[in-house]
Amino acid sequence: MIKLAGDLSSGDHVCAIPDSDEHLSELSARFVAGGLRRDEKIFFYDDAGAADAMLRRMYEDGAPVEEPLRTGQLEIIPEEYTRAAFRTPIGALAESVAGTVWDAVDHGYAGARLTGQMHSSVEPGTSATLPEFDGALDSVLGRSPLTALCTYDHGHYTDEQIEIMRALHRDHLALTGAYDDGLMRIVRIDATSARLAGEIDHSNRPKIASLLQSSLDSALRSADASTDIELDMASVRFIDVATAVSFVHAAEMFPASHSLVLNRVRPRVQRILDRCGAPFAPQLRFSDRAPSGTL
Amino acid sequence: MRVNEAPAPRFTHGLVAHDGPADFAGRVAPLAAAALDRGEQVTLAVSPATEELLRARLDDGQVTSLTALAPAARASGQTVAAWRARELRALCSAGRDVFVVAEHDAALDGPDGSYWTELEAALNISLGGLPVTQICGYPQIPLHHVVGDAALINHPLLLHGGDLMHNPEHRSPAQVMANLPVAPPELLGPPDVFLRYNTFELSRVRDAVEDAVRGSELERTRGEDLVLAVNEIATNAVEHGSSQAELFLWAGADELVCELHDEGRLEQPLIGLAPPHPSQARGRGTWIARQLCDALHVWRDSGGTHVRLLARA
Repeated sequence: MIKLAGDLSSGDHVCAIPDSDEHLSELSARFVAGGLRRDEKIFFYDDAGAADAMLRRMYEDGAPVEEPLRTGQLEIIPEEYTRAAFRTPIGALAESVAGTVWDAVDHGYAGARLTGQMHSSVEPGTSATLPEFDGALDSVLGRSPLTALCTYDHGHYTDEQIEIMRALHRDHLALTGAYDDGLMRIVRIDATSARLAGEIDHSNRPKIASLLQSSLDSALRSADASTDIELDMASVRFIDVATAVSFVHAAEMFPASHSLVLNRVRPRVQRILDRCGAPFAPQLRFSDRAPSGTL
Repeated sequence: MRVNEAPAPRFTHGLVAHDGPADFAGRVAPLAAAALDRGEQVTLAVSPATEELLRARLDDGQVTSLTALAPAARASGQTVAAWRARELRALCSAGRDVFVVAEHDAALDGPDGSYWTELEAALNISLGGLPVTQICGYPQIPLHHVVGDAALINHPLLLHGGDLMHNPEHRSPAQVMANLPVAPPELLGPPDVFLRYNTFELSRVRDAVEDAVRGSELERTRGEDLVLAVNEIATNAVEHGSSQAELFLWAGADELVCELHDEGRLEQPLIGLAPPHPSQARGRGTWIARQLCDALHVWRDSGGTHVRLLARA
């Protein structure tokens, strides 16, 4: 069954195959933020910097981070504990996870969520196979108020492992219609707005020109469409000079009735835009708010 | 790589071939005094001896000096020209024209004197759009004949008597540099990082520089600026040079040096010296890279095109 990320509830055990690191942190951050909203305790199993990437994306999404970390509602399981968990006999591991879920409930949480970077489960020295670990998790889900998101990224799992785990999971996260080249990710929010993530350089710059062109086309062809073409830049970490110039020139080429609005631009990216004439382009505006309907 | 053309000339560039500091100061001082009378700013880039002579002849309180560059930057004529343009652009922004007195310094002749050919040609590009008059003093008989030749072909005006006259020997920067090999910078030891990359691997270049910045004393924004500068040059290398290019990186605690090498043939190496017009879609990357580094030196040889960037904490 295809599940929407925002609709997951207790007992759900969904699988997702992210297109890229940006996609992985996007999925993880939304899953964690959804649990926080439901007043659930979150266990994030860290490895290979995954927690930092997830927390960074939560900041960029405007989700609460400091408070749930301070209160313990969001618990990052350190890399060494994550790795040790998969060397623990599988029965004891399942009992331990179930125990922590019920502990969370005893502390007043509505339930618990579990996700993270668990590729150490396929490394030598583990106590079971990947399907066995997944089966044990399923058994915990059946007897405790837990929600789990299992992610299998191409950087840490083989194609064969991914296909096996895809087949073993009954529920999958719905895929968003996104462009993702591993360096930059574009998720359309609606006809005239999109969220960008990652880095834009000479290799993927033409995609931005296409995006701006198609968004402007949609805006012009629909009487009800917004006259602002909005790009949420909160997760854009780098743009090159030619990209900055293309934003400025695109805005200057818009009809006088329309504007290009860049939302939540990071200071590093803003400096590049400023050097390329952005402050002098009246139809290029900047805003600190997220576009409506942003992911 | 793209060549930035000089904008409409406003820069006045004159040569004084002199018999020594006293002769030079005596001949250029009346021009500087006239500039002060016209309300222009007068600034100096000369030896201490010449400066003392000039200040004695002019209203000392109205004369300033240009910033002396660090040795690594000073050794690259094109870097000096870029920095000189930046400083003079800031001075011109006050709304007053600027009169500069500059002077040959034999310490920068290098093995063959070609430094001066590069510097003067680069100044003709970088100062091309600025309301600046620069009078350069060169010895009548320099140690290297190249120095005298360079002075003659790079200055459109010559001081004869008290007047600046047209110089029929003057050539444009493109003509001057057409067949001149720009000297490579001094050789460094084995690099700390080497990688070959293509268009789709520019992020690996940025990651390598980011890692080096993290391990250095460069402050955060300076480090981010260096990453951008290297990215722009690296992009040029694979876009205009060859499908594969190379990054060499030397990481010191207080200084990072990056070199990009490609196999392309650059028509002339004095790129990114003139500010691009706002409507110009491309050709801005090298100009911005020059603004962001302490030194950026482009040279070419039979192996291709090479660029060295340097940033100091």
